[in-house]
Amino acid sequence: MSEAFDISDQAQDYNRFGLDGNPFPYSPVPAENPETYCGQEHATTTISSTVSKTLSTGKSKHLVITGKYGNGKSHTLKYTRSLLRDRDDIIVGYVAQPGEGFVDIYHEFMYDLGFAEVQNIAYEFLASVARDVTETNPVSGSAMRSLIDEGDVLLSEIVPEAIKRLSDITRFADFARAIIHMVYEDTNLYAWQWLTAEGIRYEQRKEMEIHTALDDDTMGVRAFTAFKNMLLELGYTAVFVFIDEFESIARLSSKDEQATLNSIRHLMDQNSEGLCLLFGCAPEVWQDVMSEYHAFSERIGQEVALRPLTNEHLYELVEEYLNRERATEESGIHPFTADGLDMILQRSQGNIRQVLSVCSRLLDAAAQAQRSEITAEFIEESI
Amino acid sequence: MLYRQRLLDLPHGELQTPVLFPVRNLGKRSSDNTPEYISSIPDLPTAMINVRAIRERDPMWDRLTNGVSLREEMEVPDDTIVYADSGGYDFSEKDPDTTPQETLETQRLLEADIFGTVDIPLSRENRSAENQRRIDRSIDLALEASTHHDGDELLLASVHGYDPETIRNGIRYLERRGEFDGYALGSLVPVRTDYEKVTKLVLAARTATDKHLHVYGLGGLVYQPLLLYLGVDSFDSSAFIRSAGNRNYLLPGFGGEELWNIDDLEYLPCPCPVCGSRTLDDIREDRDALVVHNLWALTTELRRFRYVASAGRDIEDYLDLRFQGNEVTQRAYRIAKQQVRRLT
Ligand SMILES: [Zn+2]
Repeated sequence: MSEAFDISDQAQDYNRFGLDGNPFPYSPVPAENPETYCGQEHATTTISSTVSKTLSTGKSKHLVITGKYGNGKSHTLKYTRSLLRDRDDIIVGYVAQPGEGFVDIYHEFMYDLGFAEVQNIAYEFLASVARDVTETNPVSGSAMRSLIDEGDVLLSEIVPEAIKRLSDITRFADFARAIIHMVYEDTNLYAWQWLTAEGIRYEQRKEMEIHTALDDDTMGVRAFTAFKNMLLELGYTAVFVFIDEFESIARLSSKDEQATLNSIRHLMDQNSEGLCLLFGCAPEVWQDVMSEYHAFSERIGQEVALRPLTNEHLYELVEEYLNRERATEESGIHPFTADGLDMILQRSQGNIRQVLSVCSRLLDAAAQAQRSEITAEFIEESI
Repeated sequence: MLYRQRLLDLPHGELQTPVLFPVRNLGKRSSDNTPEYISSIPDLPTAMINVRAIRERDPMWDRLTNGVSLREEMEVPDDTIVYADSGGYDFSEKDPDTTPQETLETQRLLEADIFGTVDIPLSRENRSAENQRRIDRSIDLALEASTHHDGDELLLASVHGYDPETIRNGIRYLERRGEFDGYALGSLVPVRTDYEKVTKLVLAARTATDKHLHVYGLGGLVYQPLLLYLGVDSFDSSAFIRSAGNRNYLLPGFGGEELWNIDDLEYLPCPCPVCGSRTLDDIREDRDALVVHNLWALTTELRRFRYVASAGRDIEDYLDLRFQGNEVTQRAYRIAKQQVRRLT
């Protein structure tokens, strides 16, 4: 074990395993954009079907993914997100945990999208207006931006129209002004702070002619709905919100927990189109929600439970990782032996997070020890 | 370093910039009551006039349309450089009662050297939708003027906006669609106490174009060094007249001082032709003397800046010193300096 952490500049020699490098992640934290997903076919099938339903019909659909700690909820959500991110007709936001209430979920969602993305969406909206009221034909946010920079389009011509239209679409004039202020360098930070529910001073709001404060769950739901409606108007198919560690609502007071669930329920009710919520939640907390808050749980179509890895899945997972660094035509689980993997499974209790970090360490240890195979015996010695 | 010097070739002669255009109140009353300064201050052969005010003043307008030249009416030499502003400030409550074509005709009749386009100024109190409309309208009016203008006079398009994007966007838009010799930034007077905003707006304009840049209404003692530092080519001021009306004595480095507050002094601390040989009591009683002194004060400010630049001294050091006495202007200059350094 200690040898595995003998850090040097020299690249480990993985050639003996027919590998160009160590394919397993060192960090037990799920990768931001996982490339590999293994096992849990029942889960992927359900997620695919939920996601596809929303994409194909535009109707909202929601899903809860339950699973014990380490069974891959975050990994599943992030993997799904990485698949969806390639599509440019949707918006995906990841919320690491629900916080104290819906306004925190909203805040995290906006933050995950990020300033640049929201600013670009603001330019996209201006582009849609410019296409109608000017002779120009900007096809994207960045095209719009350069038309403004170059002076091909007059801001004062399109901005009043943009605010008017966006107010009509969202029925939330303050939101409309905040979005449009994302394009002004003097005010875009304030606009961003308002849009992310961070709170701004009265004078800063006044400068943008924003009358309300976005600081509670009700306003959060309103702003989110406005944002989603704007995106649908721009031609986006749907907005996906992935809320991880939903079980942490259990540590809220029962009043706050109920308020959070109610807000999410309102959100679902007000967005029958173009919204897909995916929750990751520990099974026991989800059980409580199901039994205590019918109004909430009945709006969530489905639940899918992640299971610990099986033997077969583990083989598949390890092979898939190894294949990423294979220098040869070889496939299979080599340098791991079957009894080695059995031991890994047993020790990790099928917890994917642990499996990956153990495999990573073992591969380094084997390289260090100049072993050509990772057997149960070697694992016994190394761990 | 954005400060720059240029030589303008104008119908009535060459003009060294940066330069100040003193605002003449011609037409506002029965006649121009600005005292003679043009030949006594050699580097200020300039005047800014308000086309609309002159046109509205029937007796004078009659004379001007009957063969009396503007320079005769003003009693200034022929080589006086005249900047004819459209008088947009008078339209602040409503749409202009003139067309770009009509204004151009008047500007030409007055034989102005520099033409400002018809514009509708903004107000800080307006809703932004209303200000956006005014910005839009001023741009249209400028383009219309460009279509009708084809002389040797400089045509400066008036540009308005309370944020850098709008200024940059407006100038580039005009640059693409019209033919202008430069741009003139308006509507800054209502926000003049917000130095950071003004600095950003001026810089946005300065970086959007390399052509002549004029700033309307901010040529007083405080703003002058800032505008020079920001690379503005010309500016105008009526501070010298307004101050004199209040018996306010302008002094570079000190701002304005009400002469009523001073009594145990025989001579004032200025070596200009007005103050150099006349006593305080004498000047206090003489509004015209005060007006001329105040103009000398503004000119001195400009001369000093030119001297510092020409002598190869560090302009930022000079301005550090220049602004150290006043907290507000010092902060303004610091903000300007940060922004300029970010650019260069
Ligand atoms: Zn003097």
